[in-house]
Amino acid sequence: MNSFFDKLYDALRSIKLAVVLLVLLALFAIVGGIIPQGKAVDFYLTKFPGASARVILALSLDHTFSSLEFLLVAAVFAMNLTVCTLHRLANEFAKPFKKRRHGPDLLHLGLIILLFGGIMTARTRSESVINLRKGESADLPDGSKIVLVDLLYQEYPDGRPKSFESIVAVNRAPGAGTGAGISGGSAGAAAAGATADSSLARRAIKVNAPFRGKGFSIYQQGWHAEQQAELSDAMGLRFQLDPGMRETFDGGFALFMASGQAAEAMRAPGGATSGQATTTTGSEPAAQSADASQDAIFLLEKGGMRTVVKAGPGQPVGPFTFDGLKDQSVSGLAIVTDKGYPYVAAGFVLVILGVFITYIRKLKGMLA
Amino acid sequence: MIATIAFGLLIVSLIIQIVVLFKKDAGADSITPWLSLASGTLLLVEIVRRSIAIRFVALTGMFESLIFLACFLSLLIFGLRYIKAAKGNKIIPFGATIVAVIFLALASSPLAPSDIKPPVPALQSGWLVLHVSFTFIGEVFFTVGFVSAILQLATKREDRRQTYDRLAYTSVAVGYPIFTAGALIFGAIWAEKAWGVWWSWDPKETWALITWLTYTAYLHFRLVRKSTSKLVPALVIVGFFIAMFTFFGVNFLLSGLHSYA
Repeated sequence: MNSFFDKLYDALRSIKLAVVLLVLLALFAIVGGIIPQGKAVDFYLTKFPGASARVILALSLDHTFSSLEFLLVAAVFAMNLTVCTLHRLANEFAKPFKKRRHGPDLLHLGLIILLFGGIMTARTRSESVINLRKGESADLPDGSKIVLVDLLYQEYPDGRPKSFESIVAVNRAPGAGTGAGISGGSAGAAAAGATADSSLARRAIKVNAPFRGKGFSIYQQGWHAEQQAELSDAMGLRFQLDPGMRETFDGGFALFMASGQAAEAMRAPGGATSGQATTTTGSEPAAQSADASQDAIFLLEKGGMRTVVKAGPGQPVGPFTFDGLKDQSVSGLAIVTDKGYPYVAAGFVLVILGVFITYIRKLKGMLA
Repeated sequence: MIATIAFGLLIVSLIIQIVVLFKKDAGADSITPWLSLASGTLLLVEIVRRSIAIRFVALTGMFESLIFLACFLSLLIFGLRYIKAAKGNKIIPFGATIVAVIFLALASSPLAPSDIKPPVPALQSGWLVLHVSFTFIGEVFFTVGFVSAILQLATKREDRRQTYDRLAYTSVAVGYPIFTAGALIFGAIWAEKAWGVWWSWDPKETWALITWLTYTAYLHFRLVRKSTSKLVPALVIVGFFIAMFTFFGVNFLLSGLHSYA
């Protein structure tokens, strides 16, 4: 019985097994590196001819790195690495202090921690993307609130982006909710309230400079421009509506659906005749302005009846007057939680230390 | 212009080395290492010039990457005269010079536009500089390992085979930690800072991992195989081709997060 376990132990700590597993992992990675991963079944059936698509799908090569075969090899590799490290450590500690060589131990230990961190990341990482306009806020995973104070965008002369950064204010006091719900912004009141609060700590989030919160990070993921509809009421008070937002009035509401151009763009692929965008139902007459690029589409509810209205600047939208479209920037922020990364970072430190300590000695013998 | 002069110097160096190689009784010439040093220095000047122009380390495009690779390879060719196993050897500097010339020929091809362009936001990171520079310096050592491994397979003399084996091993052993730090670790740290995900099985990441696994397999395989095994140098050769595919092939054949590289 003992001899069986001895043989198993010897097999698990053997360098030959390590080499075989390394080659197998490399072969899996080659397959996963060549065949596009995680696409829909139709993609493989159209991209790969005949039987090859069926082979890819049958052998789970469309998701190689989460396939049972790959995970099995990776698990055996982790065992080999662990047993080898423990065996080596025991041998090294048996030696006199000056003769010990702990470089490979640090390297192997770092890789074990890295593998553990990788498993943690795969199991716990979550990412949610929020799109914030200036003045809008969102709840963060720790209950605090983030407000987009400003979005700064710069371009190079050739039109490529030079920088885009979100200036945000974060209320670290526990907030009302959890998750990443968005509020404020559209009617101006929330925006004014949020940006005016000087007690909030302000931070810049840029690409390569994320905001680190308690247990989460916020990354500048994207930026895009969209148009707001500017309206005024009977008293002359102006307000803005983002796409999808509405303003109520006695007996109904006006909802800004899209700019006229955006609506055209959406209709175009369907084969609709361009230049005839106005579609109305109900009693509201179609509006058509001189400058079609300034037109906007609204959903108007009045007395229980809904109407789609296309309005140009100066034209009425229910009790309001549509004053025109206004460009505004939208910041795309990714909120990421990853409990595995601290372990991964620790693994990185040990791997770097271990690999340099192990092989730096080779330099000594190299020089003439 | 500077890169063109550097290219010219390497071509001259290559021609001299071919002439010397054909003279069987001639020893290693004393001119070509200095031509390599001059070429490497000029390429370094070009990198500095471009860096000043874009106010960032000029390592953000294919042209600049090739210049960087050729620069450090040229400097290492000069450095070979101080390396025990390579001292007096004519073929290893010759092989390495061919690779450096190929890098510069690719840099002057339409595949690598030489426009000086400042980096987009994703590339404005110190981690990018560490990631790219360490990866390429590691690969420069792998190039010497590659040439040595070819010679190890080609030679029939046992003493030479052992010398080439030692040089291939030492080159890989020096390049391996630099490549590990650059390609895998600094790359992963940069990815985490830029995208919030330290590993995403992007084709470039995957192929960098394949390169690392191949050289890791070589370093372990060499411990257990007989010194006469042909599989050991074969792994160094395969590793170098995979490293080059990771650099060129992935850029042109597979799309992913590194599409700007």
